[in-house]
This record gives sequence, C-alpha cells and structure tokens, in this order.
Amino acid sequence: MPILTVFASFFSTTSEYYELLKNTFLIKYILNSAIILTGVLALTFLFGVLSAYFVSFYNFPGVNFFKWALILSFAVPAYIYAYSLTAFFENFGTLFGLLTWLFGEGEYNKFIPKFDGMFGAILSMSFSLFGYVYVLTRASFYHQSNNLIEVSKNLGFSAKESFFKIILPSARPAIVAGLSLVAMECLSDFGTVSFFSVSTLTTGIYNSWLSFDDLNTANQLSFVLLLIILTLFFIENYSRGGAKYHQSSQGFKKIPKIDLNGKKALIVTIFCSFLFFISFIFPTSQMAYWTFKFPKYFQDTNLWSLNFNTLILVFLASLVLVSFSFLINFGNRISKSKFLDNLSLFSISGYAIPGVILAVAFITFFSWLSDFLTDFFGFISIKKIFIGSVIGLILAYFIRFYSLAFNGIKSSYLKMNQSIDESSYLLGYSKFRTFRKIHFPYLKNSIFLISILIAIEIIKELPITLILRPFNFETFATKAYAYASQDLLEAAALPSLFLIFWAGLLIFFTSKHILSEK
Amino acid sequence: MSINFLEIKNTTFVASKLNKVLDFNLTIKNEGDIICLLGPSGVGKTTILRSIAGLQKIPKGSISLKGKVISSEKKHIEPEKRNIALSFQDNSLFPHYSVLDNINFGAKRNRNSKYNFDLKELIKILHLEGLENKFPHQVSAGEAQRVSLARSLMSKPDLLLLDEPFSNIDESLKVELQLNIKKILKNKKITTIMVTHDSYEAFYMADYCGIILNQGLQQYDEPYKIHHEPKSLDVAKFLNRGVFVNVKVVESDCAVHSLIHPELGEIKGKLVNNFPAGSDVKLLLQPEDLIHNDQSKLKLEVVDRKFRGTNFIYTLKTKNNDLIPVFVHSHHIHQHEVEEKFGIKTPIYIDHLVCF
Repeated sequence: MPILTVFASFFSTTSEYYELLKNTFLIKYILNSAIILTGVLALTFLFGVLSAYFVSFYNFPGVNFFKWALILSFAVPAYIYAYSLTAFFENFGTLFGLLTWLFGEGEYNKFIPKFDGMFGAILSMSFSLFGYVYVLTRASFYHQSNNLIEVSKNLGFSAKESFFKIILPSARPAIVAGLSLVAMECLSDFGTVSFFSVSTLTTGIYNSWLSFDDLNTANQLSFVLLLIILTLFFIENYSRGGAKYHQSSQGFKKIPKIDLNGKKALIVTIFCSFLFFISFIFPTSQMAYWTFKFPKYFQDTNLWSLNFNTLILVFLASLVLVSFSFLINFGNRISKSKFLDNLSLFSISGYAIPGVILAVAFITFFSWLSDFLTDFFGFISIKKIFIGSVIGLILAYFIRFYSLAFNGIKSSYLKMNQSIDESSYLLGYSKFRTFRKIHFPYLKNSIFLISILIAIEIIKELPITLILRPFNFETFATKAYAYASQDLLEAAALPSLFLIFWAGLLIFFTSKHILSEK
Repeated sequence: MSINFLEIKNTTFVASKLNKVLDFNLTIKNEGDIICLLGPSGVGKTTILRSIAGLQKIPKGSISLKGKVISSEKKHIEPEKRNIALSFQDNSLFPHYSVLDNINFGAKRNRNSKYNFDLKELIKILHLEGLENKFPHQVSAGEAQRVSLARSLMSKPDLLLLDEPFSNIDESLKVELQLNIKKILKNKKITTIMVTHDSYEAFYMADYCGIILNQGLQQYDEPYKIHHEPKSLDVAKFLNRGVFVNVKVVESDCAVHSLIHPELGEIKGKLVNNFPAGSDVKLLLQPEDLIHNDQSKLKLEVVDRKFRGTNFIYTLKTKNNDLIPVFVHSHHIHQHEVEEKFGIKTPIYIDHLVCF
C-alpha cells in the first residue's frame, strides 16, 4: 500500500518546490546519503566481522561476556548515540569537564575533536548498527563446519590464509545480509541526520512535508529513495537464500576455539572492550551522567506518562502484530493457498520502507481515502481516526514491522513438519483444536521472543511516531528528539536513558535467541 | 450381498503435476484384511494413502468406507472425521510432547471401539520400554517410527494406513516386529493398508498385494499368485530377480505344456498365460527354476558367483549371451569358479511357465 501510494504520486503533478529542489538539492541529497552509506557500510563491516571472528574462533579473557555484551549496542538508537557524541565532545562538554577536573583549567576546547555533521552521523550509525553484521556473521561462523577449517589446515593454509580463503568467503551471504540490513536502516535513518543537520533524502522528505506542507514532493523524493532501498532489499533477499544453503551442513562439528595468550589476547580483549565501551557504555553513561547532573528535568518531564505511553504503545502494537501474523501464518498453513502466500509476500516488503516514507504515504493515502469517501458517499471524515491517533500509529507500525513478525513466526512454523498437523487431524483433532493443542504450545516461546524483538524495534522507532502520533502524545523517542532539536541535549538525556534501559532489558531477555538463530 | 469394507472406484490420485495414479480400483471385502501396496519409489503410493486418509482430495472417482462415501469429486469428509489412522514414514511426532503423551494423544477417541489396547503391552511389543518420558528429538528414527505406529494403534481406527512402517528399523528387529504386528492386526481384526517397496515384507504381511506401476494398479492378488503368476511383463520385471529368455511354444493344449530353447532344450510345465503352439515368447527364468546337477550333459559357463549366506547365486551365460541366475544351496560341497562349466538338470521342469 505505501509503495503504491508513492508510485502513484510520482506521476502526479509536480509542484514548483519540487522543480526547485530537483535543480538544486536533489543531487546533494543523494550524494550525502551515498557518502553516509559508504562510510557506515565500511565501518560496520570492519567492526562487525572482526568482532564476530574473534568471539567465534578464539578464547581470550571475557570472551563469553563480549559474546552477548556486543549485542547491547542494539539498545542505543543512532540518534541517541549522536546526542551522546555531541554532548561529550562539544565545547564545554563532558570531555572538557573531565579534563578540567583532571588537569585544572585550560584551553581544551581547541584540542577536543568535534564529531558533528557528516562524520558524526557516520560514527553514530556505525556504532549503533554494527550489531546486525556482528550477529549474522557470528551465526554463520558458528554454523560453519569445523571440517572446512580442518581441510584448509590439512591443505597447508596458515590461519590467516584460511580466514581469507575459506572462512570469510563462506560467511559471505551472512555478511551481505547483515550489511544490507545496515544499509536499509542507514538510508531510512531520520533522527541522526536531522540532528546533525545533514541534508539527505529522509530529511528532505520530512522537511518538504513539514516546512513546505508539500506532500507531493515528499512522495516524489520517497520514490527515489524507495528505488535505492528496494534494490538493496532484493540483494538482501537473494543473499539470504544462499545463506540457508550454506548453513545446512551435515557434518556439523562445533569448532574448538583457539586459546590466545599474551600480546594477542591483550589486543583482542582491548578491541572488544573498546567496541563494547564505545557502542554501549559510552552513550549510556553520558546519558546517565547528564540525567543526574541536571535533576531539574526530572520535574519537567512527565516520567509517568512517558513510560506509560511508550510501554502501552509497544505492548499494543506487538500484540496486534504478533496475533495477526500468527493467525495469517496459521491460515496459510491450513489452506496452502498460493494466493494468500503471495499476498503475504507482497505485504512483508514493508520493512524495507523507511519510516519517514511510510508515515508520509500513510497520510497521503488516508487523506485521499477520506476525501473520496466524503465526496462520494457523504461519510464523515475518517482522517481523524487514522491520522494523529493511536490507532493510526499502531496501523503504521503494523505495516512497517509486519515482515519481522510474519517471517519470525513463519520460520518457527517451518520447523514444524506438515505431517505433524496431519497426524493430529488423523487422530481426530479438528484444525482449531490442532492449533490449540499443537501449534500454540509448541510456538509460544518463539512467539514471545518475536514480540520482544518487535518491541525493541518499536521503542527505538522515531519518524513514524513523530509524524503520526496524536497531538501532545510523547514517547521516549519523540521526547528525546524534541528536546534535542531545541538544543536541550541535557533534557534529552532522561528519556534517552529510559529508552536504552527498556530496550537493553528486552535485549537481555532475548540475547540467547538473538545469538543463536537470527 | 454384504457391503465391502473399503471400495475405491475409478479413482485418480494426484501426487504432482507429472505424477498421477489413474483409474485405480481396489476393494477390500473383509474387515481385518491386510493389504500391501508395492511399487517403485515415486509412483504415488504415499499419495494413495494420503487420499484415503483425507489429507488430499481426489479429482475423479470415489472412495467409500463401510458403504459410506468418504471421498469423491464432490464430497470430501475432513480427515479428523474419518477415523482412519495414518502412520507416516518420516517423523511426525509432536515435538513438545513426551513419547508417552504422543502415544496417548489420540487414545481418548473411540471409547466404544470394539477393540482396545493395553498401553503397557503395546509399549512392550514395540520395544519402547524406557522411552516413555523422552522427547521426540531424543529418540532414533526407528524408535520414532514405532512410537508413531503405537500412536496410530491407540487411536483405534477403523482403517489403519502404514507408510513404510519398517523403513528405519534395523533388520533383526524388523522380522520380530513384522511378526508381532501381524499378530496384533489379525487378533484385533484391524483392516490395514500398508505401503512398502520390499516385496518380502509385502508377501509376509499381506492377505492381498497390489502392484502399482506406470500410473496404475497393475495387479491385485494373493502374494503367491503375484509372485508366480504375474499378469504383465512389467510386474514380473518389478518383482523378480529373474531374466527373460526367448523360447518357442511347442505344445500348449495338453495338461503339460512344453517350450523349446535352442540351448537349454525342452522346458516343461504349465503356461500361466496360454499361447498357441509355434508362438515366439519370452519366458521368465527365476533363480529357483533351474536345478544344478554336476552329472548333466547340459553345461553353461559361470560368469559370476554371489555368496548370499543361505545360498549362492551363480550367473550363467548362454551362447546368445543371456545371463541366467541359478540358486544353489550354500551347503553344496564343491564350488564352481568363474569360467568353469556348470551342469543343469534336464529335462527342465518349471511349475509356472510365465511367458509374455
């Protein structure tokens, strides 16, 4: 649906603003997006693959801790990372304070590097997104048969040669899949680039909608971005198909880890500690520091309603998403109809669509629908029901995260042989009773896990919430964004900290699952 | 006239676009009969079972159980309402239930059935002791197959369908299980259709065997007749380890028929399918048909010798390059090496002369 809306409006009349934009900014937007994308991909590849390699193949102090600690970076959205980065390095920021406290007064501002603009955006996104590459690559390393490595040793390859000639190429589909996820997230990012005032396609879409009230231009920009993202989406899907094949190794043997000693162990430990520190401890402690340094925002921020809003929203959205996906999956399974299957395939492309585009398309669609219904059938306007309401918000989340829920449940369902259902029918159990007695008890754990994964995504989600939320309805994400865009970073610390806390807590509960399967 | 227990009429079974079984007719007259369906892999045997169980619809024909139509072009009774149990070839145990819970899953059904099972006894017969509290992923493929069989039996079905029930079970246990299961099925009079590709298994278990080849049921008969009186060249080729040699019919009107082979000479016996004298036909020669005799003047060259434990199979070559297998008891004192000559008792007499 959002795709269709965007495509339809691309061919509708272009506004003057768009003409202006096309001549001046469009190239710049695309160029900026491309630079950020390249930087983020390079850094996430480096951090993700290296860390996955170290924890999969070597024993060094703290390896079991780092194994899951590194996924905590998922709890910190890129825009919050950006706030911390700025807060720490800005003039008279945290680092300045720290140096003053340590060495006394000084002209430190001159020497402190400034991470802002494009460079800041690249760093923020890399440290918050490298987890995707890490998790997928690690899973692929983990499932790699030891036989491969033994064969390569047997053929006389050194450890280094084995890594580049055997291990890395065979993990390639997983790495590509991880990188495409990073790319999609990076291109859809709104919070970070908007905070650093880098003009990219997403901020262009948002601004043309908000500042110029020009839905058409927003949709047309979306079209460009969508084309790029859909290409990536297909690459990801394609390489994932390969990953499946790569993992079905029959002679699976757990890889014995190599013990690292002395200098090497030290380097690897330092690398992982650094990564963990930079990606999680740093933003968290920066946010915590400010939260306690400026306690007056405790009173300013209505913590109760913020917590309540966010959690109830997340809970409702996950519930709706998971129950619906479960039902559709069940329907698909019992009907075996091709039509339903194709329809589901079509609707799961939602995850590839950036939140900004989705929100704008959502508004376009419902405005059109509402006008249409009012004009032709004399309905009262339905705009209010869907735009700027919790229902609309949940519906938009639904479109965005449906693929996550649907595919998660589908893959759990696939582990259950069709003949299991058939056995149950043959033993006299109806389809409904089979669902209750067999499917539900068997799938309830994975469904719980999927709900949590979705909850994590929704907590971090910014643009959809920002655009579609009801008036004065705030979540951690929107509150932090609101303060940050008013240059009140100190105030943004509190909601950010809460966001990291909740997301981190949920990740903690699902870490086992994320590490083993995703 | 009594009602047939199961009647399949002019039915088409569709396994895939390319793979179909056409115009299938099969009747089980008596309750308690055991039927084996034999055929090569991929011929559609499993599809037939699935369709009888109601897991697949049939595009043409009808299936009725105890006089009541359960499947036809228009009608399709849902599998859960048929009371037909199917034990799958692959593992279909409920992964989150223990072995015992799996076996009991359908036990509540049919409380008023005319027969019943003692759970403990069934577990003992199927050698499942000690596995009761394990979960499906902790048992072997063969054990899972037996659990699945137990689960099907415990649901006390009207008709039991078994898809290669012994395929994962090792040889020594297989024989014992075949014996015990046949005993149970016969005692409780449970009508069974079993699919297999092992003809020995089929011959032992079945009251009637059906041979499925080339998209159709080629022959439906008692095991003895299937083996000795195959109705077509294909059935004979599928079941037997023998070869076909060209012979001429000499005499086909008297009580004892006779054929002539240029090298083996006269072959006497009873023609299963009659041909007029003078016809050129192909005769099936099975390993048990020719009898070894060192004193005989008819000698053929040995080209191969297989030791099979209870017997040897010698392969003999005729002048026109037919390769004929011959059984010799494994206690036979002297062995013939390859390229030696091997005597065949003459005149040759074969009870059933299978010619096409």
